[in-house]
Amino acid sequence: MQIAPLLFYGAALVAYAWHFAERRAVVGRSATTLLVFAALAHTFVIGMQTMEVGHVPIAGATSAISTFVWLLALAYLYTEMTTDERAMGVFILPLLVALQAIPAFRPGVEARNAVLQGPLFGIHVSSLLFAYASFALACVIGITYVLLFKEIKAKHLGFFYARLPSLQVLDRMNQVAIVIGWIFLTIGIIVGAVWAVQARGSAYSSQVQAMSVQDPKIFAALVCWFVYSFELFAARRIGWGGRRTAYLSAVGFAIILLNFVGASYFLTTSHNF
Amino acid sequence: MRLLLVGLSHRTAPVELRERVDFQARGVAPALAALAARGSTREAAIVSTCNRSELYVACDDVIATRSDLVEFIGAFNDVPRSDVAPHLYDRADLEAARHLFRVAAGLESLVVGEPQILGQVKEAHSAATMSQTAGPVLNRLFHASFAVGKRVRTETGIGSGAVSVSYAAVALARKIFGDLDGRSVLVIGAGEMGKLTALHMKAQGVQHMTILSRTIAHAARTAEAIGGASAAPWEELDSLLGSTDIVITATGAAAPILTKARVESVMPPRRSRPLFIIDIAMPRDVEPAAGEIEQVFLYNIDDLQATVRENLARRESEVTRAEAIVADEIEKFGAWFRARGAIPTVVALRQRFEAIRRAELERLESKLSSLSPEARGRVDEITHLIVEKLLLTPTEQLKAVGDGESVSIYTEALTRLFGLDGSAEAPAKESNVQPFDRNRRR
Repeated sequence: MQIAPLLFYGAALVAYAWHFAERRAVVGRSATTLLVFAALAHTFVIGMQTMEVGHVPIAGATSAISTFVWLLALAYLYTEMTTDERAMGVFILPLLVALQAIPAFRPGVEARNAVLQGPLFGIHVSSLLFAYASFALACVIGITYVLLFKEIKAKHLGFFYARLPSLQVLDRMNQVAIVIGWIFLTIGIIVGAVWAVQARGSAYSSQVQAMSVQDPKIFAALVCWFVYSFELFAARRIGWGGRRTAYLSAVGFAIILLNFVGASYFLTTSHNF
Repeated sequence: MRLLLVGLSHRTAPVELRERVDFQARGVAPALAALAARGSTREAAIVSTCNRSELYVACDDVIATRSDLVEFIGAFNDVPRSDVAPHLYDRADLEAARHLFRVAAGLESLVVGEPQILGQVKEAHSAATMSQTAGPVLNRLFHASFAVGKRVRTETGIGSGAVSVSYAAVALARKIFGDLDGRSVLVIGAGEMGKLTALHMKAQGVQHMTILSRTIAHAARTAEAIGGASAAPWEELDSLLGSTDIVITATGAAAPILTKARVESVMPPRRSRPLFIIDIAMPRDVEPAAGEIEQVFLYNIDDLQATVRENLARRESEVTRAEAIVADEIEKFGAWFRARGAIPTVVALRQRFEAIRRAELERLESKLSSLSPEARGRVDEITHLIVEKLLLTPTEQLKAVGDGESVSIYTEALTRLFGLDGSAEAPAKESNVQPFDRNRRR
């Protein structure tokens, strides 16, 4: 069932790339339309799965990825509508397509472990997914910032110069995305910790016992938190900004992506429900 | 009806002649009135810019009208015919339309894709409308040309990229800062070039502008000339550098004023705020190494000129795409224009039918005289309706024919079948296709 949104995301990717190259208004509008259809199809899929298993499918890694893609698509669409800026689509869509391919070829919702009940777990996962979506946007905006910065600095005003919004706008969008992401990351981590303490007291499970800072997944999440905190607070104090902030948001998201996709399947001993 | 263009432009006439043939200066409305009074045209419009003067007219006889227009251009502008005639070009029918489309698209402009020409073409049309010299043909032609201009600008990059140094500087500032409202500009040096760029920035919404010069009196004078700017003494250079967004340097100093070290020293309090330095002085006012500082964007006059050249080259590469749009729109206009060739036949056909109806009513006058006036009115109405209904389908069909060849076949056939030759207007054969060469082709 996850294949339908994937096809729409794929079509939208082609349209966004075409729009980016040719800058035809009609193509741009159809790209947005395709992405809206993709998001609708995805909403439908997630809604069906929720009805099927009785809870929002975020417990297993594969379902969580699907939900993350859905959130990111919505977050991007929101940014596009509010800023009237389509150039970022061509950078976001490859990520959506690549990640959506995982649930599309690993169908079905993982059975939910009995431990993973209660509102705290739901808040933990959904705020982290939302944080990841914001950081993904920040990363893409950061990459485009660097591309444009390099063109202006090198005095070679070419491809990106003609297509991207101004450095100032990109910088501001990057900051907003990071602030939102940081807030949700913080909430997600705190709620996760509270939940783990409660779960340890109430039920026995090998995963819950493994929940400590030594676990790769938890460790990487904390590293991310420090990276983004540095970017937000320390960096402003010492006059970092612009290009270095942009690089940091790319590094931060790279860790998140490795952690989210790689660590979930292979490394962690605590989050492999 | 035929379409004819006679005119001159920067491509065919030297500036001395273009200055003498200037409808704008002498008034387009009087020119249109004078042209209409000559009686050689049915519709007329004049496109007049500093680089071109073109007469677009609808007429019946292209050859006679052409020589009358040449006469008129000379006479109206007080230029001997022998001076102006060698520099004039002419185009007929769809070639005239193609030329106007190319003009509106900016393809004929001195700087390819320059934006003002479309507005000037629109002015030409509204002047013709005001003078009541624009009719169905020119209205259609000009509206089609507006569509071409709009499509070319939105669908191709022909109008993109700055093509003058000061505009290139403003475009760069926009790419760095986004909106220029609320940005501050520091102009170092009170010379002419600095003033020009500052005026451009001001036009783009920059509100805080400071002029700095070694002599405060010079700075004050330039600040006044720009309007809304303030003057500052030389000692404030460093503190102003620390707070401004855009710096324009244009002094006559022999050695660089802004060294890398000096710029570096003002950067820390700025945090991550970018500083855009435009060095338009010769020799340079800013050490090139200053451009290596993170968050400093340094452009000198050569860099700006290089981007201008790049933009011009990019515009040239968009010309093919623009020409495809012109060809596309010519196709549409051509279909309409050729279908118009059927109109005289339609008119003749109607006149013929109406004449038959009237003749028959007259012939039956004696038999109808016994009827009441009401009943006679009814007879008149019914016969009129019959004629209308009979003509409705053929008229619609004829107007829907798209290509000139079919139009002339149909009109020829109708002329023969209904004996329209003797009527008031003969069917127009506006295309050079002979009615019967279809046999040879098949």
